[in-house]
Amino acid sequence: MITREEMENIANLSKLYLSEDDFEKMSKEMDGIINFVNQINTLNDQYNLENNSNSNADINKNVLREDEIVDSFPRNEILKNVDGGKDGFFYVKKFM
Amino acid sequence: MNYELVVGLETHVELLTKTKIFCSCKNSFGDEPNTNCCPVCIGLPGTLPKLNREVVNFAIKAGLALNCTINLNSRMDRKNYVYPDLSKAYQISQFYSPICTNGYLELSSGKKIRIHQIHMEEDAGKLVHKAGDVYVDYNRGGVPLLEIVTEPDISSSEEAREYIEKLQMIMRYIGVSDCKMQEGSMRCDVNVSIRPAGSRTFGTRTEIKNMNSVTFMTKAIDYEFKRHIAIIESGEKVVQQTLRYIEETNSTQSMRSKEDAQDYRYFPDPDLVNVSLEKSYVNRIQDELPELPESRFKKYTEVFGIPENDAMLIVKYKNVSDFFEQSSINLKNPKMISNFIIGQIFRNIETESDREKFDILTTPNQLNKLAILIEEGKLNMNLAKKTLTKMLETGKGIEEFVSESDMKGLSDEEIEKLCDDAIKSNESAVKDYLDGKEKALKAILGFVMRQTRGKGDPLKIEQKIIEKINCLFV
Amino acid sequence: MCSNSGGIIKKISSSLEKKEFSCTEITEKYIDNINKSDLNAFVNVCEEEALNIAKKIDEKINSGEKLSLLEGIPMSVKDNISTNGIETTCASNILKGYKPIYDATVWSKLKENGAVLLGKTNMDEFAMGSACETSCYGRAKNPHNKDYVTGGSSGGAAASVAGNLSAYSIGSDTGGSVRQPASFCGVVGLKPTYGSVSRYGLIAYGSSLDQIGPIAKTSEDASIVFDCMCGYDSHDSTSAKVDYKNTFEHLNDDIKGFKIGIPNQYYDGIDSEIKSSLEEAMKKYESMGASIEYFDFPEVKSALPVYYILACAEATSNLSRYDGIRYGYRTEKYSDINEMICKTRSRGFGDEVKRRILLGNYVLSSGYYDAYYKKAQSLRSVIINAFDETFSKYDAILTPTSPVSAFEANRKYSSPEEIYLADICTVPVNIAGVPAISLPCGFDSKNLPIGMQLIGPKFSEYKILNLAHQYEVFTQYENNKCLQMGVIL
Repeated sequence: MITREEMENIANLSKLYLSEDDFEKMSKEMDGIINFVNQINTLNDQYNLENNSNSNADINKNVLREDEIVDSFPRNEILKNVDGGKDGFFYVKKFM
Repeated sequence: MNYELVVGLETHVELLTKTKIFCSCKNSFGDEPNTNCCPVCIGLPGTLPKLNREVVNFAIKAGLALNCTINLNSRMDRKNYVYPDLSKAYQISQFYSPICTNGYLELSSGKKIRIHQIHMEEDAGKLVHKAGDVYVDYNRGGVPLLEIVTEPDISSSEEAREYIEKLQMIMRYIGVSDCKMQEGSMRCDVNVSIRPAGSRTFGTRTEIKNMNSVTFMTKAIDYEFKRHIAIIESGEKVVQQTLRYIEETNSTQSMRSKEDAQDYRYFPDPDLVNVSLEKSYVNRIQDELPELPESRFKKYTEVFGIPENDAMLIVKYKNVSDFFEQSSINLKNPKMISNFIIGQIFRNIETESDREKFDILTTPNQLNKLAILIEEGKLNMNLAKKTLTKMLETGKGIEEFVSESDMKGLSDEEIEKLCDDAIKSNESAVKDYLDGKEKALKAILGFVMRQTRGKGDPLKIEQKIIEKINCLFV
Repeated sequence: MCSNSGGIIKKISSSLEKKEFSCTEITEKYIDNINKSDLNAFVNVCEEEALNIAKKIDEKINSGEKLSLLEGIPMSVKDNISTNGIETTCASNILKGYKPIYDATVWSKLKENGAVLLGKTNMDEFAMGSACETSCYGRAKNPHNKDYVTGGSSGGAAASVAGNLSAYSIGSDTGGSVRQPASFCGVVGLKPTYGSVSRYGLIAYGSSLDQIGPIAKTSEDASIVFDCMCGYDSHDSTSAKVDYKNTFEHLNDDIKGFKIGIPNQYYDGIDSEIKSSLEEAMKKYESMGASIEYFDFPEVKSALPVYYILACAEATSNLSRYDGIRYGYRTEKYSDINEMICKTRSRGFGDEVKRRILLGNYVLSSGYYDAYYKKAQSLRSVIINAFDETFSKYDAILTPTSPVSAFEANRKYSSPEEIYLADICTVPVNIAGVPAISLPCGFDSKNLPIGMQLIGPKFSEYKILNLAHQYEVFTQYENNKCLQMGVIL
């Protein structure tokens, strides 16, 4: 069972506000999901686990970029999705 | 009870690469906001990082210079935390397998401050608060950093100061960072705890974040040391927390306590692949590493016979030391150069930052020429100093100020003749000298020197005068 | 055999060259189809842009220039693939209004090849879902029966191809998001080898699992599109530097002597109609000269929990950047910046996304990392090794794409993990990074399509496309209703 405290902690880490109803519903669902993924603990003994982290990214090694400057984007492009920002900055008003 | 101070330092240095760590935007300080930005460094959805080779090279250099093991296999991890200056809401860093581990930096006392690890990471952008509104500039976002983490081996604020100054020196020598604390290209987090003198266990530590001056860092350490003692003596417990140092009041203030300590949820960044290095690659970088300050200092003091304080002053600034190295080529006595630098050139370069720049008009080659003339006895020290002053003012070479005939110096016969004339013309001074007034000799010497227009070697001439006066009565 | 056998890309292309219709005409026809359609396959239609491109292509045709195969073919792109200047939302409120300022590599490749973008297709929010029901734009509908789901997450893409709203479509597949909707909608979906198609510009869900792939009417069409999409990209550190075989040239290779493995575990607990449909397909392959052999593949049993741990861990980190500061939705009322961020996220994300973010933070949080993330990574390598070993014995393996055919929309589930079970046949492929294709192999009693999945070793797209194409030709496309109904002009 996921505790109230744990649930609050992960909601906080997730930067999500949960209403009391959501909280209850999500806690219950999380319990189910956690229970479901807990299967991996029962699989532990069946295979000889090597402690490596073989991931898809291992197909490549040492992918490095040379230290050469490429022109940056024009600032109006950079700020395009915030209506041009303010004074060249991204901008968040103190409160709205 | 006696307490001992236990300090560990985490130092961030910004690297002098041309571009950022994960994109090809310019790595530059002080530009207009958000002008060195692209989709990658402002964290647009779908963008991917690509590691800059030079960052890896710089990390290896730093590791080698700090006597670390270079791990041939390392990997980038994500450090997750949400903050407006961090465009992806995670910082790409190294946590599980950093590139350098297990090094040390040796203090002048011979004490070794162990380096736990050095890792590569990206800097965050900058927040500007104006009337409570938040403005974000991502120019600094993605600027490459090395974080250099010591073991808790430092036991005084003075050691901390020496560690930081040596670290700055080394980073500048190997060309990895300019380590300007005022500009933020070097920043330091300080972990402080205390324990009863001689104890092996550690006390609860507090962390002072983001020190940007060595002086304030030492003050902050001293302050925390006293504060910890006071807490413990009063029977209380030190609370583990993150602090900020307040310059105005010389005190520290809590930023957050352990309860809301960050959980960074590190995991390997799936967008980046392993950095795996060949031993030969590391060896090549090792071979290209410039001579480090430690070794230059030894050479200056032990081989050249330069006094330790002077040698330290030269070694401290990479540009000065490089200038010294180049201008003392082929000299029998390089100490002459250090005397020129400290006694004469430094007189007009007073601030630390100007000495670091060492932006002077005279070239090492010009100074070298001057020194060779002195060593060959063609130029006396007085004239040399005057000439150097003019050279420093104009950037012109010695040939502009000293003629061929001047440089030939005086023949022995000429000196003999000048001394004879002087003795004849200064009878009263000679008499005074013979009466035991040593000072009178200076008047005779001055007479000769005026005649030579400063060309002669005063020591040699003085010897000659004494010889001649003594002869008068043999 | 129907007149479209082979596929529709070649057919449209040759009609354009022969001037049987113009690019503008066929583009208008598709746009008309889209506008008339109630499938909700598109979230954004780029009518003007599409017609502009079509016009340029018509000029090219009229000047007698030769077209490349994809030139002038109207197509669509999933809404999680960045298109410069064209809104890209991942079907999430949090990205409403966001217009990328750069193109995804895959889209710029297709654009260079003359693709005509009709619009962006519907999907599960941030590609999290198996039914295309978590979209903030509402669900896409299955053209075979509108009361049924399209599958997901690339549901809009599959529906658009099946419903003749685009000639082909580009989707993304993190745990089956190309293959499963393709199978539910009776079309072909290819999930390429991890690293063979650049992820640059694909809005990340689970970065180590995500892969862009084509959805098309036939294997031939999928092959043509894949050949254009794949290749090394310097923007993507996980992009593979290998020799990419041209898959189109291998479509007609003889499959005699091919060894096809049938992993028992994939057939446990699947729908009996699907099972018999698959058994039919096996017989067909035997008739074509391939060998069929059942074998045990117990390792795949751990695939689902491993997938949900890794995908959610990565997702939680990938989705943390949606804070309302640089793009997309920002809440209107807040008292400080932290509240702004929390409110923006709480309102911007839907429930399924929130669930996965929470789970991701749970498995990564201090104290749980070793028990979940690290263990899942270890099990991942077990699965990778098991696939490696399997492919030392077999050229390919054949499985159902989904344990069920399309299900009714708005179904109520007792728990989220019940929905997750629908991914059981597709996720092992993403964990191992190998390629797989789903193609139609029959219909169930409700007349809904059944899909089969061919999985091959890394970079064997040419082989599985070859196997798929040979099956289609051998069966005269009889199981491909979408192709048969795919008469356009």
